[in-house]
Parts: sequence; structure tokens; C-alpha cells
Amino acid sequence: MATSNHRTYDAVIIGGGHNGLVAAAYLARAGLKVVVLERRHVLGGAAVTEEVFPGFRFSVASYVVSLLRPEIVRELALPEHGLEILPLDGTFTPLDDDYLWRVNDHGRTVRELRRWSASDAEAYEEYGRLMFEMARFVKPILSMAPPDPGRLDPREWLPVARLARSFNGLSLEQRAVFIQLMTMSAADFLDQWFETDPLKATMSASGIIGTFQGIRSPGTAYVLLHHYMGEIDGVLRAWGIPRGGTGAVSEAIASAARSFGAEIRTETPVESFLTGGDEVTGAVTSAGDEVIGRVTLSSLDPQQTFVRLLPPGVLDGSFLEEVARYQYRGSSGKVNLALDGLPEFTCLPGVGDHLRGAISFSPGIDYMEQAYDDAKSGRFSRRPYIDMVIPTLVDPSMAPPGKHVMSCFVQYAPYHLAEGDEWDDGRRDAFGENVIDTIAERAPNIRELILHAQVLTPKDIEDRFGLTEGNIFQGELSLEQLFFNRPVPGWARYRTPLRNLWMCGSATHPGGGIMGASGRLAAFQVLRALRPKKAA
Amino acid sequence: MSVARERYDAVVVGAGHNGLVAASYLAKAGLRTLVLERRGRAGGPLATEEVAPGVRAPVAADCVGGLRDDVVRDLGLGPHGFRAIEPDVTAFAPSADGPGLTLWRDPVRTAIELRAGTQPRDADAFVAFDRRIRSLGAFLARVQATEPPDLASPSLADATGGLTVLNGLRHLGKEQLRDALRVLPMSVADFVGEAVEDEALRGVLAVRGIRYAAMGPRSAGTALNFLWDSASGGGAVGRTVFARGGPYSLAEALVASAQSNGAMIRCDADVAAIRTGRGSVDGVALASGEEIDAGIVVSNADPKQTLLRLVDPAEVGPTLGWRVEHIRTPGVVAKVTLVLEGLPAIGGVDDERLRGRIVIAPSLDDLERAFDDSKYGRISEHPYLEATIPTLSDPSLAPDGIHVITALLQYAPRRLSDADWDEAARDGVADLAVRTLEVYAPGIADKVVARHIVTPADLEREYGLTGGHPLHGEHALDQFFAWRPLLGHARYRLAGIRGLYMCGAGAHPGGGVTGGPGRNAARAVLADVRRARRRRTKRRARRADA
Repeated sequence: MATSNHRTYDAVIIGGGHNGLVAAAYLARAGLKVVVLERRHVLGGAAVTEEVFPGFRFSVASYVVSLLRPEIVRELALPEHGLEILPLDGTFTPLDDDYLWRVNDHGRTVRELRRWSASDAEAYEEYGRLMFEMARFVKPILSMAPPDPGRLDPREWLPVARLARSFNGLSLEQRAVFIQLMTMSAADFLDQWFETDPLKATMSASGIIGTFQGIRSPGTAYVLLHHYMGEIDGVLRAWGIPRGGTGAVSEAIASAARSFGAEIRTETPVESFLTGGDEVTGAVTSAGDEVIGRVTLSSLDPQQTFVRLLPPGVLDGSFLEEVARYQYRGSSGKVNLALDGLPEFTCLPGVGDHLRGAISFSPGIDYMEQAYDDAKSGRFSRRPYIDMVIPTLVDPSMAPPGKHVMSCFVQYAPYHLAEGDEWDDGRRDAFGENVIDTIAERAPNIRELILHAQVLTPKDIEDRFGLTEGNIFQGELSLEQLFFNRPVPGWARYRTPLRNLWMCGSATHPGGGIMGASGRLAAFQVLRALRPKKAA
Repeated sequence: MSVARERYDAVVVGAGHNGLVAASYLAKAGLRTLVLERRGRAGGPLATEEVAPGVRAPVAADCVGGLRDDVVRDLGLGPHGFRAIEPDVTAFAPSADGPGLTLWRDPVRTAIELRAGTQPRDADAFVAFDRRIRSLGAFLARVQATEPPDLASPSLADATGGLTVLNGLRHLGKEQLRDALRVLPMSVADFVGEAVEDEALRGVLAVRGIRYAAMGPRSAGTALNFLWDSASGGGAVGRTVFARGGPYSLAEALVASAQSNGAMIRCDADVAAIRTGRGSVDGVALASGEEIDAGIVVSNADPKQTLLRLVDPAEVGPTLGWRVEHIRTPGVVAKVTLVLEGLPAIGGVDDERLRGRIVIAPSLDDLERAFDDSKYGRISEHPYLEATIPTLSDPSLAPDGIHVITALLQYAPRRLSDADWDEAARDGVADLAVRTLEVYAPGIADKVVARHIVTPADLEREYGLTGGHPLHGEHALDQFFAWRPLLGHARYRLAGIRGLYMCGAGAHPGGGVTGGPGRNAARAVLADVRRARRRRTKRRARRADA
């Protein structure tokens, strides 16, 4: 065999999703010799831009950015590597013959709410202030490696102690609200402030994105905070679309990683880990190359990492039991449309600014719950929640002149269908048609505008992106799978039971979204583990 | 007026079981204690009523398995006439097309039967699960006996309380500790789903996570409800315990205990207001206009009744008032009691297996669907039912040949979307219960000679339970432990008003016939009394020195 078959690195990173790339960048920045192995021909994992139809480029899966950690943007100098985020203004909720339209301009939103309910308009201010305070308190959690409750290592607990101290700095009411946010359902939480049904439904919708829960399910309130945590160019509370789609984020991170000397190989699927006893020493590609590393980081989910890539018998049974226990429960699909023009909503005809932000199909609490009830019975929602954006309105480069692309995030589409049913071509078509029907009820001209449609079911998301059961967050973000329980109790600090194998994907704290925090925290843990050896 | 007003050390508002427990403890410690009850009888939902001539039956609470041992002991409930009956069978889940599942008090006996069933692998899994629940339950029992810590300014007492809990944690060991922290916020569906495979077994086990809750088995936090109920023992299935003579006999024993300790109990005394002044309690005013002075008022009413109806809103303040308004009290339970002329075969088994709880919860999906109906303000089309036949264990309740079956029916939401709880709705819910039982006990409908219905609206009206919630507030992650009923008010002392306490199910450790909140509240009152006394002594000593 040629010598090139045996390449040795300090760190081998499996998966070129945004977290894998972030980890690679940080490790390379610290002087490590790093290689990233990506199965597909494009980088980014689920944060990817692809020209699905000639001339039409789509953020195929993940479609907006807000929680990307500002320290990552800063430390990796991402703007220098081409990252530019265009603001996405407002949320428009079309209804039968009215609408609810909130924008970043606070005064305008309050005036709009007053149309619905004077007390809601008033509460909206107070609510916003409170959530802003809460978000400020919670944010450090996103930059903290979770401690292991089974061990009382003061170094691990120090950040938590700091958090506890800042908790005591909050007022009693704020503390109570924090506890509610961690425990309540989004709908119950909002019930305390608001009475307008479409407002509550639209706000709480963010609590269920990517999870197999309803807006009335306890534990969904927490995600409401995310809307107040977003930070783009230092401006709080904004969602945005990267110029060039979400793939541009991955490309910028990849470019940063390369500038630090990391090597990135696409079209290099990994077949398995290289193991020796209880140690992982690298990976074997499906071409048969052995890539050897002092440490190996997997940005894949636990199922892929510990079941698919590891030969059986290497891990002990109790850990594998926990891995099997970890819940994925993909619940969403995606419909990407290439359009000949812009949709026109019956409730607000014409082409206006309302199309430039998010368009939320969430007319009421019962609508959202019924959508969830369908999923619980193993079928896609007859009337789903849709979060729609039209990126070409802020970034015309995504489509030929005069044409548009539209991205529809659709929930619920359960990965496991009712008995006797499965996600085949027929089901996919039915799912796509149903989404278009739902849109057509409120924007009747949509059908005649559609030039091409790409429909992704949870099964497609699994096949295409390697996300088990199509869960976009690499595992349900339910209370028992957060913080020190993510992904497995006792193994939340990015380490695994195998020596020199680490996890750095969304299945680790703090999890999903294009945040990059998992990759960064994992890289720091790896560097810390390597440091004493270096000194010796 | 010149008539000297009566003065007590402590007034307890409401003679529910927790009010009586608190009163008995307070009187035992030497406080001049008065209990005031709006209704004509003490005991609240511990009611045994004559539902047909010569037939007495529990109409609200039917089991007393959660009653704390230390309460029974401390208050001498045995000598005062309380007798527990614990049948060998804890629960039976009939099946429409099979022999059903029997869960015995002895888990090994259950396992033996499971091994012969459709999922023999569940036999070992059940025993392991049972053991795990017993150890987690024992830990939670310690938590339930402690006053929740003051998260704002932890004191020495909190530290010792914390140590007790920590000590309990240490007993759990590292692996179990991790397990506990993972399990507590889970849904009961996932929790039992991980443990056993048989759908029917999952269903019957899961009901303890959703009983009385406006949640389905897939809602996060229902595993905690399940474990919370397991703190009183019984492992995976919990306990089924009856009071001989019906639940009211427990109320009678509590009354006797309180009286023998020196407490006064007045029925038909409707408290209209808790009087306050300058941040302190100074007594109560009755609806009749009568006023009674006391420096300590312990409310057994739920937190919303107490703080929104009984206490001056100016004293509560707008912020706290707003928070109290949003305490969640979504009642979803109705109770249907049927008097039967003879017992039909239920699930095709002999009487022996019917002495515990009879649980109709065929699968997790069925339970979830039953819950789904209630989200839209509808009564479940196929409800979850949990029934007991107290006459089997206690023949003294009815003449020979007559049996009583009393069933909890869930979900029957307090607020119906398209109806009120009128006569038609009441009859509808009773018919639904009979129809549901008829599937497993063909012929039962023809044996019904009388029926008694308690709707959530009745619970609200008759027992003063806001929202018809039997637990004084939803048992859920957001209304739990140090934030039950509200963060900053979970230590039995309410609203920062000196002398005002809460001893009902709205306080930690919450609802059920446990006596836990009553006992913990009395301890909080007595700790404050002792502290005040010490301060007085010190002051006097200083004055004497000077």
C-alpha cells in the first residue's frame, strides 16, 4: 500500500457540518494538525446551500440564523471569510380574513397588537423587557460545558456556581419566571400575558420547532427565550439569512479552518472507527484509507457514532443501552419551492414588506395542537404549522432575475408513521401536496407560481444528512435530554467512554440550531485534555 | 361592642384532612387552636355518604394509601379509630379480549403471572423497575418531609434541610443520582415505555403519572408525578389502602385526635375573610359577621381562595395577586359512584382480583387520546377510569348482596367548550362511566340501582376547590417543591404576612390523602412560635439585666 494510505493527524473530525467545522477551526487555530472528513460533496451538513434546480439555490435544510455564537463569529473572524447576514424583518401570520404582523419596529408592533387587544399591546412591552432580562441571564449556559452531577469536581461546577450567584441577583419575580420558562408549556406561559389567539400560537410555535411536542407540552416555554437571545452584528433580537444561504455560514467557517491549516476532505465517507482496545485511533474511509489521529471527534449523532461507526463489542452494554434510550423522534419536513413570482395572500393582497420576514401558518392554539395530535397518531398534520421565508427578497442572488425561492419548514411530519404506512414516494408526494394545499388556502396563486418543488420528509432528511430519524437537532430537545443529560447522563462533557473519542455535534450541550457552540466547547475540552501531555 | 371576642392562638380555616392534621399537631404542642369549617361536616373530600338507603360509599377520595406513617403515629390515629385495609391485590387492569393484568402487592407474584403472559420478558423488567422505583421513592419521601429551601436567602435551617436531601442523594449512589436527574423531568410514557414492553402493562403503570392532571402520559413532568406518588411506597404500582368504614372514618379519627389534643372544631362556620393589619394576621371574620381573634391563621383552602378571596388584596399587592391568579388549577376529574345489586364479573376474574384499584387504561395511546379530547374542552370519548369496590374489602358499608363501585373518570374538564356542567352533562358523564365499564363487565348497567356523581363543577362548589382541581393546583414541573404554589411562598408562610400560613394541598408536597402539607405546615408554625418565644425571653432577660 502507498504511504498516503496512512496519514497521521492530531485530530480527525468526522462530519463537515457546521459544528465539525467549528471544532476543526478551533483545534487548528491552537496549532493542531486537523483533518475533516465529509461524506457529501458539499460542506455544512444541514447548514448547506445547494443549487437544487438550475439557477435556484436553496438553504436545503436549516434556513435562518440567529443563535450563531457571537464569540465564534469574532474569534474565527467569520466576516473576513465571507459571512454576511441579512436581516429578516418580522413575522407575518396570515389568517382567514385578517392577519397579525409583528416587525422589529417595536412601536409598529404595539400599534398592530392594539388592533387586537389593548391589554396585549401593553403586556407585550413588559413581556419583552422581562424576556430580554431572562435571555441575558440564560446566555452563559450556552457557553458552558455541563458538569457531571455524579461527580463533585469543583472545576466543573464553578460556572454553575457563577450562574447560581447571578440567579440570586435576579428579583423574585424574575426568578419565578425563569423557573416557569424551564418547566412550562409555551402556551401556558404565554397565557399569563396574552389573550390574542394567533399571537399566542405564533409566539409559541418557536417552542416546538424540531421537537415532537405540542405547544401545550410542558418544557416548550424555554425556547421562547431564543427569540431574545439572537445576536447579529451585536444587535439583539434579530433573525437573519446569510447571503448565499445557510451554506455560506459553513463555507465561512470552513474557510477560517483552512486558514488555520485544517485540511478538509469532501466525498470521503467514513466506514468505521479505528479502534485498539478501549481507544479510538482514527477512522477508516469507505475507500479503505486509514486516517490516524491522536484524537477523533465525531460530529454525528450518538446512533451514527456509537452504533454505525463502532464495531460491536467495543463499548460496554450499559452505555449502549443509554445510547439506545436517547430519543430522536424527527417531527418535521421541508418543502422548497422555486417560484415564478411572489405569492399573494388573500388577507393582505399585494407584494409588500410582510413577505420579507417569516410567514407563519399558526392561526390559533387549537390549530397547532391538532397538528400535533395528527403526529401522535402517526400521520403528518392535515393542516401543519408552516414557517415560510422567501430568501430572494433579501438576497436576490439565490434565483434568476424575477424568480424566487421559498423555503417552508413544515411540522408535524413524524418519522414513524402509523402501522402499515411508510415514507415512500407516494407518501412524500401526498405530504408535499398537503403543504401546498395549506398554503393555497391563504395564498391561492401559489399553485400557478410553482416551477419546481423539492419535498424532504424526515426519512429524506435522515438519508441525505445522516440525521437519525430526521431529527434536525440530532436528538429531541426535551428536558431530560438537555444540559448534563445530553446525550447520555455522565457523558455530557464531550468525552465518550472510549479513549480519545469525542463528540462535538448538536447531540451535545447546548444542542441544535446553527449555533456552533457544541463544536467550540468540544474543541476546548479536547485542547484541555491534550495540554498536560504536551507539557510532559 | 363590649362583648369580649374569642381569642385563639391559631385558627385553621377549613377542616379538610390537612387542616385537621395541622390543627392536631398545633394543639398537641399547646396552642389554643380552633378549626372553622364552612360545611356541616369535617373531612372535606374524605366523605362517606349514604348514596342509597343503608349503603354508605366514598364519593370523592376513596383510597388513603398515601397517608404518612409518622402522621398516623404522631396523632394516634389508630387509637382514635382509624384502621387501614390493604388488600393483596393493588391494581387490576381488565382486558376486553384477554385475562387482564393483576398487579399484586408482592411484585414477585406479579412477575410470575407476567412470565406466563404475552410479554414474558416484562417479568424481569418489571421486578427491576419496581426495585428502581422503590429506591427513588424512598429518596423522594425524604424530600416530601422537608420544608422546601428558601432559594433567595438560604438559612441554617435550609442548610440542614438541604443536608437531609443531599444525604438521601448520597444513598442513591452515583449512577442512581444521574438516573434520578434524567428521569424527573421525563414523560411517564417514556419512563414506563423504557422499562416494559407490554402496552397494557405500560397503560396501567402510567396512570399514576396523570391521575388528576390536565396532562397526558406524553407530557413532560408526568414521570415526576408517578415517582411523587411512589414516595409512599408500593414500588411500581403504588399502594391501595382503604380506611375501614370508608374514608370518612379517617376524618373522624383526625377530628378525635385534634379534639383530644385540645383543639376546638366548629362546623357551619364560613370564614369570609382573614383579617390583617400592618403586615400581620389578627384573626378571621365569619360570613355571619362574627369575628375571632388569632395571631396565627392557617389556611387549608387552596392558594387562590386564600389569597384572592380571603385576604385583603391591598395586603397581597398587585404583583403577587397577578401571580396567584395564574396558578394553574385545570380540574379534569369526575367521580361516579354506582350502587350495584350484585357484582358482575369484571374482566372475567374472581372477586379476589377486584379488591384493589380497577384500572381501565388499555394503552399509552388510549390515555393520550383521552387527554387530547380535553384540550379542546371535551369529555374524553374513551376515558381513563380508575375504580374501586370498597364493599369487597369492607362489607360493613352495604347490606348483603349490595356492592358499590366508585370510579374516577378522566378527562372531564371543568371548562367545557360547548356546554355547562348541568344535569345533562352530569348524567352524560355517569352514562359514560357505565358504558366504559360495560365493555369489561357486561351486564353491569342492569345492576345499577343508584348513582352519585361528582363533577369538577361540584368539586368547585361543594368543596371550594378552585377550577375543580382536587389537588388545589396542578401537579406539574412548574408548580412543584420550592415553587409550589409559587416561588418565594413555598414554605407554608404566605405573602409575607406575619402569622399567615397555608397547610393544604396547594403547598409542598401537594395533593392526595397524605397529611404531608398539614404536618409540614404545623412544623413551620411551631418553629416560628418557638423562635418568637426565644426572642421574647431574651428581651425580657435583657430588660431584667438593665
